[in-house]
Amino acid sequence: MFMNANLFEPGKSKPERVFVQSAAKQNTRFDGRKTSEFRDVKLNFGADWGTVTVSMGDTMVLAQVSYDIGTPTSARPNEGTLHLNVDIKGVSYLDEAQATYDQRSLTLNSLLERTFRSSRCLDLESLCIAVEQHVWCVRVDINVLNHDGNLYDASTIATLAALMHFRRPDVSYIDDQIRTYSERERELMPLLFLHYPVSVTYCVYKSTPQPLVDPTLLEENAADSIIVLSFNSYQELCTLNAGGTAPTNVRTIMQCAHSAARRSKALVQFVRKALELDMEKRQQSKHVAGLIDLLDGSLSKFSFKRLMEQEQPMEVDAVQPSQASRAESEQKPEKMTIEEQSQAGQKPAVKDDSSWLPEGNDVTQEQQNTEQIVKENAAKNTKATKSKPNRGKNKAGKKQAAAKKQNQSDSEEEATHII
Amino acid sequence: MGKSDTEEVAKDKLRLMKCKFNPLSRCDGSVMYSQGATVVIAAVMGPIEVKTQSLSIECSYLECNYRPKAGLPQVKERIREAAIRDVLELALLSEIYPRSKMSVQIQELEDRGSIDACALNAACLSMLIGGLPLKYSFAAVHCIINEEGEFIVDPELSETVHQQASFTFAFDSVDGNLLLVQTKGSFKIAQFNDIECICRAASADIFAFYRSNIGKYHGRSDDVLSVTSKEATMEM
Repeated sequence: MFMNANLFEPGKSKPERVFVQSAAKQNTRFDGRKTSEFRDVKLNFGADWGTVTVSMGDTMVLAQVSYDIGTPTSARPNEGTLHLNVDIKGVSYLDEAQATYDQRSLTLNSLLERTFRSSRCLDLESLCIAVEQHVWCVRVDINVLNHDGNLYDASTIATLAALMHFRRPDVSYIDDQIRTYSERERELMPLLFLHYPVSVTYCVYKSTPQPLVDPTLLEENAADSIIVLSFNSYQELCTLNAGGTAPTNVRTIMQCAHSAARRSKALVQFVRKALELDMEKRQQSKHVAGLIDLLDGSLSKFSFKRLMEQEQPMEVDAVQPSQASRAESEQKPEKMTIEEQSQAGQKPAVKDDSSWLPEGNDVTQEQQNTEQIVKENAAKNTKATKSKPNRGKNKAGKKQAAAKKQNQSDSEEEATHII
Repeated sequence: MGKSDTEEVAKDKLRLMKCKFNPLSRCDGSVMYSQGATVVIAAVMGPIEVKTQSLSIECSYLECNYRPKAGLPQVKERIREAAIRDVLELALLSEIYPRSKMSVQIQELEDRGSIDACALNAACLSMLIGGLPLKYSFAAVHCIINEEGEFIVDPELSETVHQQASFTFAFDSVDGNLLLVQTKGSFKIAQFNDIECICRAASADIFAFYRSNIGKYHGRSDDVLSVTSKEATMEM
């Protein structure tokens, strides 16, 4: 028990920082993970639609979606509104969280706004009931229950899962009268998405060029720079937040981006799978368990390691992924437990991006990297142009591959100056 | 001794209670507590530093916050906080740590009826596990009179839809005094007295739940309930 208001989060004192920096230099982490290894992500859906808790290690976050009918903004009269709020006060007992303009809370809120609102991931036009008069106002509240590092990822996964899980009532607008149908009258409707973004966080230290992924609170507080990348399931960049005191080579950021893109795709698949399983569970039993499952001593059913173990062999066999995953997941609850555990322990290398090189590891790292980057950029360019007619307007918020090249040349100049 | 403990105790009247101790890593004590399908998480921290304006040389300052799942805290959350704070201030032995603060935070995870009672019970459990100095532990019970005039203790949310009146009582563990009375709706005094007796009897189950779970958490293997009753008979 501390008598100090600054409750001393781990990693803020100088000796701790020095220690963590030298540990990072030797590629050692306190929980035994590799520098590119993620913690397991566990999802728990509540009985209400739009309730989800996400835990990554000790970090636990609760997200809840609520709705209301209101008037649209005058700038966009035909769109519904989405409001996001992250609350780090409360049960989490974080340092300086009581201050009105706490830096961490502001950064979290801004990051979520950019990832979900600015990138226009929800189809807000579908939330319009009557132009200029009535629209659906969707609100996501995220309550941080415990902070052990990497709140950004946990919050984005929670927001995405909650929005995908959420169902709103059906409504009809006849003769200037809004009529809302209850669950018994008409089925509830899910929200429509244009794309599904999630984020990945990296910590950069001055002592080593290799960033650490998915940091714990100690690593995060002792970090010199934190890079947060949001990708969607189509591997398009939605948000890039890089800031801090460590001068970072742009090549490092590109490498982070490549592995973050892969990880984001896997995460979105995992969320989809968990949602499917939750729907099955709801249809099977009349009585929905809800967040009571959090209290069960048994392992969480919706954990990343469990649900994504089947993905690896399937990609090799080139079987229809959705069908195979369905079959696997139905057998899942019975066979899981012990075999899964040993499997997860034996082959982490299959899931982990332990090599920093994007596919094609060869002679010199730089050569390969630049070649790969050029190839990937070209591929992304063609992909972007192909999907343009399908997706239409929303390219403004996302960074183009061409822009990436631009940044690369600019910052290379700056980087050489500093070095 | 693991970090989590659950005990399922079958009740005749109260819904099934479960709890899990210390799911949160940064506070002195925390508990995830459920009654039926209502789930609540409570965390305590204390004694910690207090702002000069709330500093008192005689006793510690109690900070109590209740957070809903959706939306920002509004007036009805403040009413709940006031009720919880009243009970906590009675139970807390605040003279032991002057010039300090005891902070209790309660977060609603799922509301399926009796959320006030649930929040109070979770607060008590978290203070017990966090080692805050208490004069006595307390338990809250929620009861309603439904449209047929029947008394339902600890109802599900679906049963409270057309209620005539709702009561929340909090009792202490030493003398069984009433610590909190919250009522809503219309009722006769005779009904009020009956319900108070029913709730008092139900609170005994809650105290037994506290004792057995905390005993289990601290590694006490024998049955706590039978030991205490044996001691009671021996004294007599």
